[in-house]
Amino acid sequence: MKFKTILAGVAGVLPACLIMIIAFLAIYSWPAIHFNGFGFVTSNTWNLGNLYSNPVVVGGTQVAPGAHYGIVFLIVGTLLSTLIALLVAVPVGVGAAVFLAEAVPGKLRIWLSFFVELLAAVPSVVFGLWGYVVVIPFLGHFLFPFLSRVLGFIPIFAGPSGSGYGLLTAGLVLALMIVPLIVATLRDALVAQPTAIREAVSALGATRFEVISKVVLPSVNRVLIGATILALGRAMGETMAVLMVSGNALNYLPQNVYAPISTMAAFIVSQLDSALQDPTGMAVKSLAEIALILSLLSLIVNFLARLVLALEAHGARRATI
Amino acid sequence: MAADALAAPAPVALSLQQGVPLRRRVYSAGGWILCGLALAILSAAMVWILALVFIRGLGALSPELFTTITQGTGGGLLNAIEGTAVLSFGALLLAIPFGVGAGIYVSEYRHGYWAPTIRLLSDILVGVPSIVLGYVGYVTMVEWLGWSFSVAAGSITVSVICLPYICRTTELALQQVPGDLREAAFALGCDEKRVIFRICLPAALPAILTGILLALAISVGETAPLLYTAGWSNYLWDGRLTQSPIGYLTYAIWTFISEPFESAHQLAYAAAFLVTTFVLIVHVVSRFVFERDRH
Amino acid sequence: MSEIFDRGPALSRRWAIAATLGLAAALKARAFAAEEIHILETGSTLLYPLFNLWVPDYQKTHAGVQITTQGTGSGTGISEAISGIAQIGASDAYMSGAQMKMNPGMLNVPLAISSQMVNYNLPGLNDKHVKLSGPVLAGIYSGKITRWDDAELKKLNPGVDLPNQAIIPVHRSDGSGDTFIFTQYLSFSTPSWSSSLGFGTTISWPPVQGGIGAVGNPGMVNACKGNPYSIAYIGISFRNATTQADLGEAMLENRAGAFVLANERTVSAAVAATASKTPKDERISLIFATGTESYPIINYEYAIVNSAKAPPEVAKAVRAFLEWGVSPNGGNAPKYMKAVGFVALPPAIRRLSLAQLNEIHWS
Repeated sequence: MKFKTILAGVAGVLPACLIMIIAFLAIYSWPAIHFNGFGFVTSNTWNLGNLYSNPVVVGGTQVAPGAHYGIVFLIVGTLLSTLIALLVAVPVGVGAAVFLAEAVPGKLRIWLSFFVELLAAVPSVVFGLWGYVVVIPFLGHFLFPFLSRVLGFIPIFAGPSGSGYGLLTAGLVLALMIVPLIVATLRDALVAQPTAIREAVSALGATRFEVISKVVLPSVNRVLIGATILALGRAMGETMAVLMVSGNALNYLPQNVYAPISTMAAFIVSQLDSALQDPTGMAVKSLAEIALILSLLSLIVNFLARLVLALEAHGARRATI
Repeated sequence: MAADALAAPAPVALSLQQGVPLRRRVYSAGGWILCGLALAILSAAMVWILALVFIRGLGALSPELFTTITQGTGGGLLNAIEGTAVLSFGALLLAIPFGVGAGIYVSEYRHGYWAPTIRLLSDILVGVPSIVLGYVGYVTMVEWLGWSFSVAAGSITVSVICLPYICRTTELALQQVPGDLREAAFALGCDEKRVIFRICLPAALPAILTGILLALAISVGETAPLLYTAGWSNYLWDGRLTQSPIGYLTYAIWTFISEPFESAHQLAYAAAFLVTTFVLIVHVVSRFVFERDRH
Repeated sequence: MSEIFDRGPALSRRWAIAATLGLAAALKARAFAAEEIHILETGSTLLYPLFNLWVPDYQKTHAGVQITTQGTGSGTGISEAISGIAQIGASDAYMSGAQMKMNPGMLNVPLAISSQMVNYNLPGLNDKHVKLSGPVLAGIYSGKITRWDDAELKKLNPGVDLPNQAIIPVHRSDGSGDTFIFTQYLSFSTPSWSSSLGFGTTISWPPVQGGIGAVGNPGMVNACKGNPYSIAYIGISFRNATTQADLGEAMLENRAGAFVLANERTVSAAVAATASKTPKDERISLIFATGTESYPIINYEYAIVNSAKAPPEVAKAVRAFLEWGVSPNGGNAPKYMKAVGFVALPPAIRRLSLAQLNEIHWS
């Protein structure tokens, strides 16, 4: 067999895994999809119902009495926390990668890079612990009230500064978790850039920083976007850390950046145990439906990112014409 | 501006002297400061986390940690350390061939339909929460296949978590290999297989390794999926791939921290410290091995 | 660059041989472990500390049995006990009627009695025991009572200088036996809560301004400690933690109208009041029991066992272990009970538990 075909087969295991998982989720949650209908993504109320009463039949399916599954607050929470995470992680990641690749000499660079990559090695649950033991008191008692006073003219930063458990905290912790992905990949790419072009541009009179920012960095744009997409996926699927610092809002939307939120992934973790007590199984199936919707959301966000990439490449091509 | 540059075709150092206007110099200096600040923030956060974990776990960091198994509310972490090592080894054993293979394919055969499809599906896989992978693994492997809590179920689940990271980072690493190298190899008469395995992979190896280590780090830090596939065991691994649960360090962190005993909390923080240093050690060892081989 | 592959095979061969030898040696050493009986216990995080205290001591006197304990959650415990993945499921809540009907042959065996505190963080008042009642707590957690100096609170605490501050209610966001018994207290004492929100290991908490969802009992302690004017419900096993965090503990109004704190006397009084009503399958709530001394938030901690699933040796071992667990010389001895703040089973209930354990059979 041709080498390319064999390789294509080996490569195919990865997408096959995703397809199998999605297929499983779709088949498993089909009764929930049928029961919940479109209300699942338009309703803002999640209620497991009375698990200690006898199941009732609603619309042809057996459910716990009073059960209603709607996840608007989860979708909003997931998207907002991921957005904040990216807004913080990308600039910080790029800055750190640039400094590591360009301003730090050989041996020190290796050890400092290890140190930053170690952030990726910190377990998610430890981020959560660190979050609620040390970060939240600091944010809730000092930083957030300060922000609320100073930036209060912007609506989302105004209002009660909360307890520290909330959207901004979750976004910041997520940013810290995804930054190593960006730093490590970008740093490798920057180091690999040929010195010829750096020398050429600095011979034209550019400062060292301008060489980086105007020439080298744009040339690793694709790597940056690739790493950012990876980071974005991780942020959307992160569970434990978010669970412990987000405040776990239920059935309401945040009024400002300090308010509690819930994300889809963290919600599944926190609800799974209770859902297992539903004798009709509808609760667990609705959780599987959340997973399905999250995958759909991931698909949409990925498409948008690729659109941005394509537009950027197209724009760059037109600019050179 | 151009006239200035042409009039002073000087090496890099001189650009910081008279030739460059103040505004650009200030911007550049400011840029470096911001970049340095970014690195400083990250380093500070890392120190802060390590400090918390180290200070709280200090009481439990002792030789017993590495020699005794968990006994109820105290004891050591030998079973958990061994379990994490076994599960990680198994996960990487599965994830590296399929992940690197996918990365190679997507990078080298990027035209056509299969490569972009793999890339897209891989990126979506990253977004699937690990708890979902864990629950799917529970229903399919632990229940349907009858494996019960097992190394097999745990390793397979963790390898699926690693796959997309390895694929994407391998692809990005291979993209950085200049096209000239490949063209030269083809010109010398190499077939595709040789070009990839003898030329491209070795050139991209450090970056691929970084990706694998990142994937390992992320997977070793997972708790939820292993709760439903590997279970937990207070005892050392008995060598069986199925029908036998196994311990792992993140369980110790997540569950022991919720117990009302201080001895359990110390074990939890010690486990947190160990997970982090476990990855550091694997980092150092593998880079050492690969760097040595290259010289 | 191709050197890596020229030297590679020799190097990697050596590593591979070393690894295989190491693995083989390790496996040989573990071979004997396969002859032992393995029991898996999983479930409630409230029972987990107790099992962790029991297992090392039990194994000292009963060799040949390996008991693995896990703290995962009551729902997981019940579910895995039903499917047989776990031999013992630990749960703070008994199985519902519907679940019992779907899964005949399941046993809910009380092992000990747990209780729950209501803690608060009121600067200046944390050493006094503020009085609270079910209806007032229901009002706080549903957002109807928003300030500490509300009329309802003042009525319960005449002469206490309650501050004019917003109350921050903290609830559990993860599925939890603590939520189950707390919401049962609210349901049984407040008709409006019962008809709208009910009880469960997780409920649809009404959005309250400033309310926090915390994870785990330590999370509750932390949230309460970090937020002045907050209130939280915390399992009795964490009394050391709440004392260390200087949190106040409320006196709760029981069904007879008296205000009590949780201690052995008040918990035993509540158990005694319900003992006669306990059915053979021991599925009963002990919440809001009658009696002037009764503490209103107490519950049985259950071992959920599938009476007919396990193979003979395992079933025998499970039965022996649980019989030891409920015995006053074994698991119900004072040293274990004191360590986690539980109360031992009274003799009448112990007899019922032993009778249920007798039903574990094998073919």
